[in-house]
Parts: sequence; C-alpha cells; structure tokens
Amino acid sequence: MERLFQEIALFGPAVAFNIYFAAASIPIGFVFAVFLALGKASSNPLISRLSRGYIYAFRGSPLFIQFFMLYSLALSFNVGVWKPMGISWFVLHPLFIGPLVLTLNTAAYTAEIFYGALRAVPRGEVEAARAYGMSRVQQFHHVIWPNLIRLAWPAYTNEVVFLFHATAIVYFALPVIGQQKDLMITAKELFERDYNAFLHFSVAALWFLAVSLVVFFLFGLVYRRLMRHMPAAPGLRFAPKWLR
Amino acid sequence: MSEDFAFWLSYLTNGKHLTWYASFQFTIFAALFGGTLAVIFGLIGATLKNSRFFPLRLIGTIYSSIVRGVPDVLFFLFFPLAFEQAVEWFIASQVCTPELIAAQSAAWPPCKEANWFLGTPEYLILASVSLGLVYGAFATNVIHGALRSVPKGQLEAARAYGMSASQLLWRVHIRQMWVYALPGLSNVWMLIIKATSLLSLLQIADIVLWADRLGAPNFLPAVGLVHEDWRWRYYLVLFLFYILVTLLSEKAFEAIMRRAGRGILSEVRG
Repeated sequence: MERLFQEIALFGPAVAFNIYFAAASIPIGFVFAVFLALGKASSNPLISRLSRGYIYAFRGSPLFIQFFMLYSLALSFNVGVWKPMGISWFVLHPLFIGPLVLTLNTAAYTAEIFYGALRAVPRGEVEAARAYGMSRVQQFHHVIWPNLIRLAWPAYTNEVVFLFHATAIVYFALPVIGQQKDLMITAKELFERDYNAFLHFSVAALWFLAVSLVVFFLFGLVYRRLMRHMPAAPGLRFAPKWLR
Repeated sequence: MSEDFAFWLSYLTNGKHLTWYASFQFTIFAALFGGTLAVIFGLIGATLKNSRFFPLRLIGTIYSSIVRGVPDVLFFLFFPLAFEQAVEWFIASQVCTPELIAAQSAAWPPCKEANWFLGTPEYLILASVSLGLVYGAFATNVIHGALRSVPKGQLEAARAYGMSASQLLWRVHIRQMWVYALPGLSNVWMLIIKATSLLSLLQIADIVLWADRLGAPNFLPAVGLVHEDWRWRYYLVLFLFYILVTLLSEKAFEAIMRRAGRGILSEVRG
C-alpha cells in the first residue's frame, strides 16, 4: 500500500507535463476552431474549401503521424532557417512543437463540433436578430455565439478529455529532453527497470482518470453557468459522448 | 529526364522500399483483425450490459467505462506486455527450479528458461487484440444504444409469433440493430485505422518505422550522400495514405449503410 502511494507521488511531476500540453493547446485551439468553423460555413467557396480540407485532413489522419510529420518538417528547416535566426533551441523543443501539433489537431476536431452546433442554431432567432437591424458582428455576438457555445459545450468537454488523453503520445514521437518526462515515459522507464507492468501502468492510468474527472467537473460547472437561464440545468455526466 | 526517371524508378523499388511497401500488410492486418475483434467484444459487452443478472451487467458497465477513461495508447502498450508477463509467469511456475531462479540476475523473467520470445507475428496478434479490447469498449456503447433503438413493436411481434428468447435475439434484435449501429461503428472503425499508426511502439516494423528509416539521411560510401533528411516527405506520404483510407472507408460505409438500410432507412433518418 505504501508502495502505491510512493508510486503515485512519483508520477506527480510527470502529470504536470501532460497538463501543460493540454492547457497550452486548448485555448489557442479553441480560438482557431471558431474561425475554422465559421470558415467552413462561409459562403466564400475558397475559404469554405480550405477550411473543409484542413478539418478533413487533420481529422482523417492519426495524431501520431502528424507529430512525426511536423517535427521532421521543422527539423529539415533547422540548418536553413532556425539556426541562422538562433531560435532552433526553441522551435525544436518538444514543449513548443508538442502544443503546436496538438493545437492544429484539436482545432480541426473542435471546428467540426462548432460547425455542427453552428448549423443547429435556431433559424428563427437569427432571423429575428436580422429583423432588429443587427449588423453581422452584432448577430454573431448576441445571437449565434451564445447559442453555439451552449449547443457545443458537452461535445467540446468530451474533446478536451480526448485531447488530454492524446498528450500521452507526445513523447513517443518527440525526443525526451533531460528529466522532462510525461506520464507514459515515466511509466515505461519504471517498467523497463523492474518489469512491474501492473503497478506502473495502473498508476499512470489512475492519473489520467483523475485528471479527466477533474476536467469533467470543471467543464460541468461552466456548463451549469452557461445554462443558468434554463429551469433545470441538465448536468454533464462522465463521458457524455463516446466518440471523438 | 529519362535518367531522372530511371533513378526514381530504381530508388523507389530498391530493397528497403519494397520492404516498406510490404509492411503495409501489418497495418492492414491489424486494422481488419482489430476491427473484427472490436465488433465481437462490442457484442459481448453490450449483451453483458443488457443482462438481467446484476454482476454481469456490472462487468459490462465497468468494461465500457474504464477502458474509455484512460488513453488508448496506455492500454495498447499495457495489454501485450501484461499478457507476455502472465504467460511467462505461468511457464515459470512450471519449469523454474529454485537453483535456476537463484541464477537469474535480471528482474524478469524469474528464470531464463521461462523467457517467452515474441516475434513480429505474435506482437501483431497481441496488438490487434488490444485494439479490439480498447475499441470494443467503444463498440459496446454503440451496440448497446443500437439494441435499444430497435422498435419495440418488432420484438413484440417476434414474441407473438412464438419465437424463443435466443431466436428473438439472433433473428430479429441483432439483425435489425446493425442499421442503428452502423454510423457509430463507422466512427469506431475510423478510430481503429488511426490507432494502427501506433504499431511501431510494440517493435513491429510497420509503415511508420520504415518511413523513419528510409527518410533518415542516406549516405553510401560508393556514391556519397544519396539524400539528406527526407523524413518529412515519407511522413507526408503516410499522412496522405491515412486520409485516403479514411475517404475510402467513408464511401464504403455509405454503401453498406444504403444496403443495410433497405426498407427501413427512412425510419433511421427520421
């Protein structure tokens, strides 16, 4: 039992890396996704095509490949671009490339969620806003966005948890620098030392589960606040949707 | 021009490239076998979840929620390692004598004779099983939902015809369930395809590992530097390959959906 607690404490610093990767990529990915979703719904065929293509490409290919591809792409620019500029230590650092790729990836998934919600915004409300003479920006700000975020929030919560789970593969694709190890690398190294798969991997799983539950709780609070005008706020359950 | 063409032709058909092309079979095998197992585990899980016997229902519910609560990579790595250890532990309990255990210096296995060497085929099968287990949990939920979507009247009509419980399950319930499950199962299939890119984590020389080897700066003493770091080109090819597979799967599922939904599709859409 004491061994278990020691083990849990041992993983404490490692989970910070997973949380960092998720926390760094979620806000930027969120903003990017809003623009992508609006782009996909745009009446301009060029913008619509580009956004569609981007979303399809990043949803249709594995994150693992995206990591390798973008990292090797960054590497190939190293001698020509990053080195002369003196920023190669920064651009090639996993703590930069990791969130970058995760952002690009989550933006595509989130944009698809937002696009679905955008199409579900009640037409009547938009028409009413237009009848009031609201400008397009006003329409978006006062009518479309509040509806969109409420419709999208449960699915978005799910996506955030998926993204947090996806941080598990960051260091399988990128180099580990010094002691900067996330949960999976820590578990793997401990396993290679004493071959106790059940202990190490279970503790890593426990950490993932615990953080996921915290995310569900926090996002549930936000959802309650978003739905505060409703008579009985429907709560978020653990894993409301099952698929990304 | 023709020299260029000859170079590219011979470059792309050299031994290493041929091995790379051949390694696509691992990915395809893992996707197909893993997908089949996922449906089987999904059916078992959904049946357990629907069971009237409480412990079985509990097992089904725990299976579908715990596996889903942790990253797929973790389970994907854990299951083959744990299975290997379990087998080695069993062998050790049969063959290891105290002297042999005392002679063993490494932490695992208990004695050298209990070592179970796993080659690519074994790892591939274990990887497929863990894919099946992980995505079976997803499929459990999809199938569980689909079983509940089958109109009650259909089941009542079957019962009124005097069908037994198993006849009802196999001839009516599961037959009609597919239409409702297909959209969800198509999503699970997409997830499995994407998860097949992780095979290289289990030491399988799959397409990802070969892309890395082939793209690395290539220097031959006889000709000098053949190419510098081309890894991103190889990964770009894989990126496009996966998008293409997704595209084809989407088309295939549309066709299956049309076929499975003959006669009742309007009801599903409505």
